[in-house]
Amino acid sequence: MNVVIIGLSAAGLSCLDTLLRFSPDTDITVISEEKYSPYCRCLLTYYLGRKLQEDQMTIKDISTCPANTHFIFGERVEQIDTKKKSVILSTGKEIVYDKLLVATGSNAIKPKYYGEEKRTFTLRYLDDAKKIEQYIKDKAIVLGGGFVGIKTAYGLFERNIKVTMIISSPYPLSMVLDERTARFVERDLKGLGIVMRTQEDIAEIRMEKDMVHISLKSGTELKSDVIVVGKGVKPRVDLAKKSGINTDLGITVNEFLETSAEGVYAAGDCCGAMDVVRKTPWINAIWPVAVEQGYFAALNMSGAHTPYPGSIGMNSLKTNTFHLISGGVLKDEEGITIFEKHIPHKNQFRKLAVRDNVPVGMAFYNSPEDAGIIINLIKKGLPLTVDPKKIVNSEVSLMDILKPL
Amino acid sequence: MKIVVVKPERCVGCLQCRFACSVAHSLSNSPYAAPYETILSKPRIHIGLSVNKEPFPNKCRHCDPAPCEMACPAKAIFRETSTGTILINPGRCINCGMCAMACPFSVIRYHVYTDNKAAAHKCDQCILRQKEGKIPACVDVCKSGALIFEDYNKIMDKGTDELASLVYLGIREKEQGKSPYPSLMAYKNILHEIKRR
Repeated sequence: MNVVIIGLSAAGLSCLDTLLRFSPDTDITVISEEKYSPYCRCLLTYYLGRKLQEDQMTIKDISTCPANTHFIFGERVEQIDTKKKSVILSTGKEIVYDKLLVATGSNAIKPKYYGEEKRTFTLRYLDDAKKIEQYIKDKAIVLGGGFVGIKTAYGLFERNIKVTMIISSPYPLSMVLDERTARFVERDLKGLGIVMRTQEDIAEIRMEKDMVHISLKSGTELKSDVIVVGKGVKPRVDLAKKSGINTDLGITVNEFLETSAEGVYAAGDCCGAMDVVRKTPWINAIWPVAVEQGYFAALNMSGAHTPYPGSIGMNSLKTNTFHLISGGVLKDEEGITIFEKHIPHKNQFRKLAVRDNVPVGMAFYNSPEDAGIIINLIKKGLPLTVDPKKIVNSEVSLMDILKPL
Repeated sequence: MKIVVVKPERCVGCLQCRFACSVAHSLSNSPYAAPYETILSKPRIHIGLSVNKEPFPNKCRHCDPAPCEMACPAKAIFRETSTGTILINPGRCINCGMCAMACPFSVIRYHVYTDNKAAAHKCDQCILRQKEGKIPACVDVCKSGALIFEDYNKIMDKGTDELASLVYLGIREKEQGKSPYPSLMAYKNILHEIKRR
């Protein structure tokens, strides 16, 4: 079998590893547009915080791969010919495949004033981080209050850079958390010394004496060395679209992660697989989901028909002072009951959203011990066997939850 | 491949496994010196109490495929291929908390144990002891047989045999209608025989 993988990040790498493990006689060609050996995007914020060096970010030593694996770095795929079963590279080279994985990932959403001359960067590639590193001195502005924004701000804060966060919504993490949980995060980040300006946005940017001068909508003037934008990501589906593969939110896939073209699979941030909680195709652009989808795509490619069970949005945010794990949907909707408990002396907060006795969302603040079980219950759509009040009170053990199942 | 199998119904909650685990993973490897080390060794097995106050030993199952290995962005979690054990490289760990989120059994904690920085901390199936030819420390000290170190298929076989013999004796007793004593004795002997295998 001849497998071609487009993209060498989470999904592509996981697919490669799984194929090497379960069907070692497959001929694999990996096409990556980056010039670096595979690294992890999640580590970019740690790289900015100088906790990691560049060589520590490499997550796979490609020289250890067997001889039937070929790597093409620094080249893009221009077209997929689904009838002839081949991909055409930017150099004009044509590579034939039996099975193809499209793991093109996603791009950061760029604001209109984006650009190096305005010192405004997104944090998506190693090159972005290097550029930020080049311009940063002692002040930075982080735009957007999502997980990337907060992790960037915390990373920069740890190397004694004055960070100001500008968040357009009334509280941070407004896409994933409810207000009460988010206030704990806000309080802790402010306590560390990160300045947070909520319900604000940038009105104007101008360069003066090698510093960016920013006017906010409220009229406040700020100065900074760089602006880092973390406003979410957008799936890269243009390659699939122009090759005639059905796309919707992301690339449309069936339960075996196969696209509308035969033998073409999709995984990662560009793949619109089923979301367990929302029960519609949805893109959860996070590392663990991409790895999982790459694993299932590889299983299906090698002939072991394994349906992908679906993903949920989840994330973990850990700093010196707090650890937040959230998953699923926490919105107060019709038919969803919310259970919550705040234990002030332990500085813990647990919140659980339950629909028809099946957990659909959770946010555990400072209590990572119980989070994994609930996340997996949400992921598998399994019902709760104990009173949810006891779970938020942390009065149950794993046995109570798992034994009756 | 041998793994530690937990039989929760046999656990009495004496916490000796926790103590043995901490000692086995301490620098001095001695129960007298371990409490005085600068970085205290923490146990990697957790005993939770259920609503009915039944103890439940909870440790890493070394799943395949392992959700924590998949979730780890830094590739600090990896599988040791010869024994199938999932291990953590604390030097690579960036303490991001993703593995605790992914673990379906909630066995991962975060402690400072090497390199003076906090890292993910979980059972390593006493990989160093195994190289010396010993069995994992928690299994070594477990008096009630709640922790067993054995080949997974073999344990399943034994369980099936135990159940099969019980069903067989039950049917025989029902047909013969005699006193239950000989059947109970026969069952006890069969259990002994299975255990010795």
